[in-house]
Amino acid sequence: MADKKIRQVAIYGKGGIGKSTTTQNLTAGLAELGKKVMVVGCDPKADSTRLLLGGLAQKTVLDTLRDQGTVKDLSNILKEGYLGIRCVESGGPEPGVGCAGRGIITSIGLLERLGAYTEDLDYVFYDVLGDVVCGGFAMPIREGKAQEIYIVASGEMMALYAANNIAKGIAKFASKGDVRLGGIICNSRNVDREIELLRAFSRELGTQLLFFVPRDNEVQRAEINRKTVIQYDSEAHQAQEYRALAKALDENTSFTIPTPMTQERLEEILFEYGLMDALDSYAEKI
Amino acid sequence: MPSCVERPRSACALAGALAAMSALPGVVPIVHTALGCGGNLSGSFSLGAGYFGSGYCSGSSLPTSGITEREIVFGGADRLTEQIENTLDLIDAELFVVATGCMTEIIGDDAPSVVGEFEEAGKPVIAISTPSFLGDSYAGYEILLEGIFNYYLKPAPEEEKIPTLVNLFGIVPAYDPFFRGDLEEIARLLRALGLSVNTFFTPDQTYENILSAPKAGLNIVLSRIWGVDFAENFQERHGTPYWITDLPIGPEATDAFVIEAAEKTGISNENAKALIKNENEIYYGYFERGADVFMDSDFKFYSVVASNSNYAIPLTRYTERELGWVGLDTYVTDQLKDEQKEILKSAYLSGGPRAELLFETDASQISKAIVKRRPENRGQRYFDSVSPLFILGSALEKKTAADRGAQQLTVSFPAFNRMIVDRGYAGYRGGLHLFEDIVGSLVYPKG
Repeated sequence: MADKKIRQVAIYGKGGIGKSTTTQNLTAGLAELGKKVMVVGCDPKADSTRLLLGGLAQKTVLDTLRDQGTVKDLSNILKEGYLGIRCVESGGPEPGVGCAGRGIITSIGLLERLGAYTEDLDYVFYDVLGDVVCGGFAMPIREGKAQEIYIVASGEMMALYAANNIAKGIAKFASKGDVRLGGIICNSRNVDREIELLRAFSRELGTQLLFFVPRDNEVQRAEINRKTVIQYDSEAHQAQEYRALAKALDENTSFTIPTPMTQERLEEILFEYGLMDALDSYAEKI
Repeated sequence: MPSCVERPRSACALAGALAAMSALPGVVPIVHTALGCGGNLSGSFSLGAGYFGSGYCSGSSLPTSGITEREIVFGGADRLTEQIENTLDLIDAELFVVATGCMTEIIGDDAPSVVGEFEEAGKPVIAISTPSFLGDSYAGYEILLEGIFNYYLKPAPEEEKIPTLVNLFGIVPAYDPFFRGDLEEIARLLRALGLSVNTFFTPDQTYENILSAPKAGLNIVLSRIWGVDFAENFQERHGTPYWITDLPIGPEATDAFVIEAAEKTGISNENAKALIKNENEIYYGYFERGADVFMDSDFKFYSVVASNSNYAIPLTRYTERELGWVGLDTYVTDQLKDEQKEILKSAYLSGGPRAELLFETDASQISKAIVKRRPENRGQRYFDSVSPLFILGSALEKKTAADRGAQQLTVSFPAFNRMIVDRGYAGYRGGLHLFEDIVGSLVYPKG
């Protein structure tokens, strides 16, 4: 490997929380800063690079393996998208058969053998599917691959449950290796007192709230047009937010071993920051 | 149960099923697992069962889907379908058994549904689930029996039942290394009573014996543990009652076995007694000559038995009651659940043995326990040094015997320091064989 260290980043979070959207907008921001970035989609749905490539333009590693038996050339599975961001999709077996987790391991192994991790890269992002259901989906944080993890969450209860569980996984691997939690990225759902809740949650988890991405329909408009916000409407307020997120991540120096909390403690925090109050006031309104 | 096993005395469920199938006429396995499982497992149980070897479509030449990473990721159903088709095309057999391994079970390959398509087309194929995490080789034997007898074979109409036909179960091929000799001796005695006997796993048997199993009037399970649940399910499906008993070794145990077997099958007590008289005359006719060297050389020993749950009780009884040795400890070496241990304990105690029944699978722990459980010599005037000591165990007990200055005979799995062909220790003939082997092990070094 080069003297310059590639920052390998894995993005985790509850399914549907906006990991792929956040990752692609964030990497677009990093690419604007002149960084060389590769995005590896680790989700059988293979939609982690759609916005960067302008559609599902990519044959996945596993589809190529299935059809051709082997992947001879990196160009078969790696395409350059917006601002030269390199995009790879692991893909997966058809639902209900085989082992998608092993598929992720196979894909990452193949990328290494084919020399996808070139020395000029500044960042590799792994966009992992929502539920880390088995060892295969922990692959990016094992064996010293990704050293930085960011968890995408929101003020919704299940998102925080999931984030806490993911933190447990990170804490387990951190005790044996270099993997660290870089922070929580809030993808806002406009929940009451969301930013305070996320700050308190992050503090309890022994990490920071890296960035608060406000909710903006501009994201949906860009998505329908198969573009990141930065590409779709470079001047939009939301584009500035993603640029700021990219900057925050690029300048981040806080990497910790998370201290996951018990279910009881998590619920206490939720009570404290008003999720339950909000329910009460909703009931009163009715 | 200990967290790890020092040196295993069994392999996985798949190995148990493969060992049994390699002795079963007309039945050929199709192993649905990773490359290497079938051959390696066959190697291990062949070695452990006194160089049992391989037969038709077994050992290192058995049909397998031989899955690799590709099938792990994408699922192995297509590969299995292809393998079944090819095997049906090329291999001559009456019944094919798809046996799964760990990897295909972990990724959730649905072997029964693949096999189901062949079954619907009238092909003789069944699927059994035999990953190691479902159990060891003893469990694998039971899983195979369930698949063939309680799933594949249809119940026989009442008018086709044969009350004098008996099926033998419970002796686990290879993991009971003397299974062929033992089955043959038990069958010989039952046939002498006028019964017909299916042993299934001996070379004289054909696929017809398997097909006739549902017609039997009685299942004899020669094990307190293995095959018991299967026999219960067999009774439910085919209406055949079962009798659980220990494998009899030597005349005292075999006399009792013959009497009870006659009772269970409606054979007259006179017939049983006539057989016992005849067999005892032969037994003691041989034994009294062998007893010369046994008595003159003062071959009196303290004895320790280390064997599986099928053999531990019969061997202890034999050494104590036929040879008059002083039983110290009996170690049951297969891994049992607590309720299985309780069953074995009560069966053991009913025989009134001197030796204590213990459960331990690690040879080093057995070695330590033999020492630890005895008082230390502190220079007292009279000290019982539990010597001379004779250990009836597996080849793993050879070192224990050497460390303790004891004599040793390999009578249980793994038995890689002797060759076993048709030898058995069950019944009258088996009792003589055991006597011959024990005394033989004492006099061979003199040559």
